Amino acid sequence: MSPVATGASDTDDVRAAANGDRDAFQRLYRLHAGRIHGAVYRLAGNDHARAEDLTQDAFIRAWQKLPGFRHESAFGTWLYRLAVNVALMDIRARGADPVSTRDEAELPENGETPFCAAERDELERCIGQLPPRARAVVVLHDIEGWRHEEIAGELGMAVGTSKAQLHRARHLLRKLLGERS
Amino acid sequence: MNEFEWRRQLRDLRQPLSPRRDLWTSIDAALDAAERVDTAAIPARIQPGNPWRRLLTAGLAASLLLVAGTLVWQQVRAPAAPTVASSTLARWKPADPRLAGAAIELDAARMELQLAIQQAPHSAALQRLLDRTELQQTQLRQLANRAG
Repeated sequence: MSPVATGASDTDDVRAAANGDRDAFQRLYRLHAGRIHGAVYRLAGNDHARAEDLTQDAFIRAWQKLPGFRHESAFGTWLYRLAVNVALMDIRARGADPVSTRDEAELPENGETPFCAAERDELERCIGQLPPRARAVVVLHDIEGWRHEEIAGELGMAVGTSKAQLHRARHLLRKLLGERS
Repeated sequence: MNEFEWRRQLRDLRQPLSPRRDLWTSIDAALDAAERVDTAAIPARIQPGNPWRRLLTAGLAASLLLVAGTLVWQQVRAPAAPTVASSTLARWKPADPRLAGAAIELDAARMELQLAIQQAPHSAALQRLLDRTELQQTQLRQLANRAG
C-alpha cells in the first residue's frame, strides 16, 4: 500500500490533537479530508451521501483512537487505513456478500452501457456499479495500490481468494465498460 | 485497450476528492457530544491532576445525581410503561455466540448514541449514526433469523 501523500508538517498537530487540541485536529482534517474522502467515495460505490457519512465516522474514530497512535507510521497512512476499515466495515454490515450481491447476469449488456473507457468519469461510474466486495478489491488493488496480502487481511479472506476476486472484478468491469476481455 | 493502458487509467483515478460539503461542523458537534457523554459516564478517565476538571466532574456528577433522583422520584410517584427503546434494548440475544457479541455491542452503541442525542438533540451526525446502528441491529436480526 502506498503511503498517503501529505506534508511532513502534521507531526506537531498530531501530537497536539492526541492531547485533546481540537483546532489541531481540524487542521489535520483539512489536510487529509480530500484523500480520505476520495478513497471512501470509491469504496462506497460513488455514493456521495454515504461517503460523507463514512468520512465523518472515520474522523470521529480517529479522534477517539488518536491517543493510542504510536507514530510507527505516518499519520496520513494510519488515518487512511482506519478510514478504509470503516468503509469495509460498512460493506460488511450491509451484508454484502462477495460477488453474489449483483451477479454477472444482472449486469447490463454491452449495448446498454456506452463504451468510453478513455473517460475517467465513465470508468469511475462503472466501478461504482460493481458488487460491493468486488469493488473493494478493485479499488484497493488497482487504484489504491494495495497488495493482495493486505487486502486479504483486511477483508478476512485468503490471498488466493483476493486474486480470484480481482480477476472476476476486472472481468465484470470490462463487461460494464462494454469491452471484450 | 491494452493491459498497460487499463492499469494506468485505473491508477489515475487515485485522486483526492473533497466532500461536497464541509464535514468539520458535524464532526466537531459529534465530538462535543461524545465527550460530554464520556465525561458524564466515565469520570475515572479524567486526569486526576487537573482541579478544574475535578470540579467539572463533581459538577456533572451532581447534576446527573439530581436528574437521576428526579427521574426515580417521578417513577415512584407515577410508574410509567417502559419505552419501546428501553424495553427492546438488550432483551434480544441470538443463540449464535458470534452474533450475540455483535448484538451486545450494537445495543451498547445505541444506548451511547441515545445519551449523546439527549445532550445534543439537533446533531444530524449523531442521528445518522443512530439510524445506522438501528439499521445494523435490524440486519443482525435478519441474519440471525436466516441462520435459524
